[in-house]
Amino acid sequence: MTKEEAQGATEEEQQAQSKKGQKKQQKEAEKAAKKAEKQAKLAAEQQSTEEDDFAKDRYGMPAMVQSQQKLDRALVRVQDLTPERADQLIWLRARVHTSRAKGKQCFLVLRQQQFNVQALVAVGDRASKQMVKFAANITKESIVDVEAAVRKVEQKIESCSQQDVELHIERIFVVSQAEARLPLQLDDAVRPEAVGEEEGRATVNQDTKLDNRVIDLRTTTSQAIFRLQSGVCQLFRDTLTTKGFVEIQTPKIISAASEGGANVFTVSYFKTSAYLAQSPQLYKQMCICADFEKVFCVGPVFRAEDSNTHRHLTEFVGLDIEMAFNYHYHEVIDSITDTMVQIFKGLRDNFQTEIQTVNKQFPSEPFKFLEPTLRLEFTEGVAMLREAGVEMGDEEDLSTPNEKLLGRLVKEKYDTDFYVLDKYPLAVRPFYTMPDPSDPKYSNSYDMFMRGEEILSGAQRVHDAQLLTERATHHQIDLEKIKAYIDSFRYGAPPHGGGGIGLERVCMLYLGLHNVRQTSMFPRDPKRLTP
Amino acid sequence: SPTFSSTTLKGTTDLDTLLGKDHGALRDIVINANPAQPPLTLLVLHSLLCQRYRVLSTVHVHSSVASVPPQLLSCLGPRHADSYARQLFQLGFTLIWKDVPKLQMKFSIQNMCPIEGEANVARFLFKLLAPYPGDAALATSVDSWVDTAFFQLVEGSAKEQAAVLRALNSALGRSPWLVGPEFSLADVACYCCLLRSGSASVAPANVQRWLKSCENVGHFGSAKALLQ
Repeated sequence: MTKEEAQGATEEEQQAQSKKGQKKQQKEAEKAAKKAEKQAKLAAEQQSTEEDDFAKDRYGMPAMVQSQQKLDRALVRVQDLTPERADQLIWLRARVHTSRAKGKQCFLVLRQQQFNVQALVAVGDRASKQMVKFAANITKESIVDVEAAVRKVEQKIESCSQQDVELHIERIFVVSQAEARLPLQLDDAVRPEAVGEEEGRATVNQDTKLDNRVIDLRTTTSQAIFRLQSGVCQLFRDTLTTKGFVEIQTPKIISAASEGGANVFTVSYFKTSAYLAQSPQLYKQMCICADFEKVFCVGPVFRAEDSNTHRHLTEFVGLDIEMAFNYHYHEVIDSITDTMVQIFKGLRDNFQTEIQTVNKQFPSEPFKFLEPTLRLEFTEGVAMLREAGVEMGDEEDLSTPNEKLLGRLVKEKYDTDFYVLDKYPLAVRPFYTMPDPSDPKYSNSYDMFMRGEEILSGAQRVHDAQLLTERATHHQIDLEKIKAYIDSFRYGAPPHGGGGIGLERVCMLYLGLHNVRQTSMFPRDPKRLTP
Repeated sequence: SPTFSSTTLKGTTDLDTLLGKDHGALRDIVINANPAQPPLTLLVLHSLLCQRYRVLSTVHVHSSVASVPPQLLSCLGPRHADSYARQLFQLGFTLIWKDVPKLQMKFSIQNMCPIEGEANVARFLFKLLAPYPGDAALATSVDSWVDTAFFQLVEGSAKEQAAVLRALNSALGRSPWLVGPEFSLADVACYCCLLRSGSASVAPANVQRWLKSCENVGHFGSAKALLQ
């Protein structure tokens, strides 16, 4: 190619470009004209609506609620909208879950927490054409105040929780408007994975849900999960309080790691450094030495394990128990297992709606348990595993797959999802674990399992300062750092034992969910620090 | 009247021979029973087993059952003083009150399917106490009486029950126990089923005499207590 030719070619290109440019400009001009026309039309319409809209006081966007006035208006809860309220005129505040305009009427689904109801604005003597249009244009997730008449319906509304009534809206005001684009659709977030795949419809993956946790928490599933979680906490507290336990608060910033130094967060503490508590272990024991006899503690627990699994978090809520006993640490096991059984019973009897709501999205078998709780010994567990073909040493700890397998074997024989494994090998437990008097290879320690996964680790603790020092030395722990702890046993300490449960794990396993992040409101793991 | 001693049930006590190799763990027999139909025969056999072996007995309530009357919770007697150490026992007897349509036994889950029906479980448990008669005719006769007890005395019509009472009466006219010279599972099953059917009071003379002999054996107490 010569230089001229090359130039010619570029000129041609430029010409072509300018031609394109002209066309583009023309198009844009047309577009602008259309837009202007549209706007003019809209303005005209608006004017006309303003002129002849008889219902203009019945809808709109009132001023922001800055507590200007204290209305004496009773707002009815969506869940209370039953046929008994038929033909009453009521006010309620709810979110617009969906809206669907259809000619002269607009159907809305109004949602309040896990309940929803169908509402209808229809052109008539109460609502104008403009009002229906306004209702149809309210963005999803906006919060509205609605005055409406409750009407019974002939046919059950299958898609709503309030199936027997609908609302005929007479007034509608937007209290808080949501942005038009939502980062995720609530309906997509509650769709069971299997259904999504089958129908080729969208489901939302875990990370998107967690990134937009505030919206995800509005789903019926999340609402149910966290109501149930609150129930677990309350049942835990109620049961233990009835048993004569005292709730204590312990510091989370501590000077020494309680369970091995590896997985502990270090924080700078003025001119020195401190740790975030891995468990309230040492403090609840000190409370026992201080004559509190039976204590429990609900609070955050930190683990700096860099494990990205379905069941590990770096911060979770620990439910911890410690109690003095008379002669045998099984008194402690009995107390803890009974507490767990009371929790399971309470959930079974009082949270059936929540359990079923979660089951709709994440189907699972109902949680089964025995009362009193089944207790097996470690050697029995090992024998069951060996019978099933697993090779393992006598003093070897259970690996996670073996734990799950043992859970399946126990479920097959005893049909329980909850059991205790007692008498672990001493070698695999922390230094403060009391050795078994009849066989020093074993210890007075136990784990509790739900659906084959460990939820609680506990033991009788060494309450004798001398033995404790021996055990700590054996574990090569710096005695200087745990001096205060060991000293607390020098002045008379009762025999005692206890254990700690992870709240999130209990909820996850009770509901048969697959990821502990689902039962943590704002989960923390090695890769997630927000929201 | 015939006397009974534990030597009447002679046989092997070697559980390794009966149940296979010892894996170093408690051999736990799990029985799922519906609280609406307490398995009386199994309670009697439990009592006999306790006499022969160190048995760890536990009663549980499965979550499928809302509540269970207190006498069902204590039907295996008071808790053994050593029950904190499972390893000290030869045999576990774990009774679980559960919403099951048919009584069920689970033992060695790797090698055995669950055994259904109180009669079949009773046969299994009795073999841990005494071998069946070596004579095939006698062994079949025991099995036949067990079937008669469960199918005709418990589930049968009044007419069928009356027929069984007549058969029992004539059999007990010939020998002190139902099958042969020794107390057997046939006696346990028929006694318990007669009690459950409520026809013990109208039983003819030989049967009455035999009922007394059974009671003298001394293992029917817990079963009787449940019916009151």
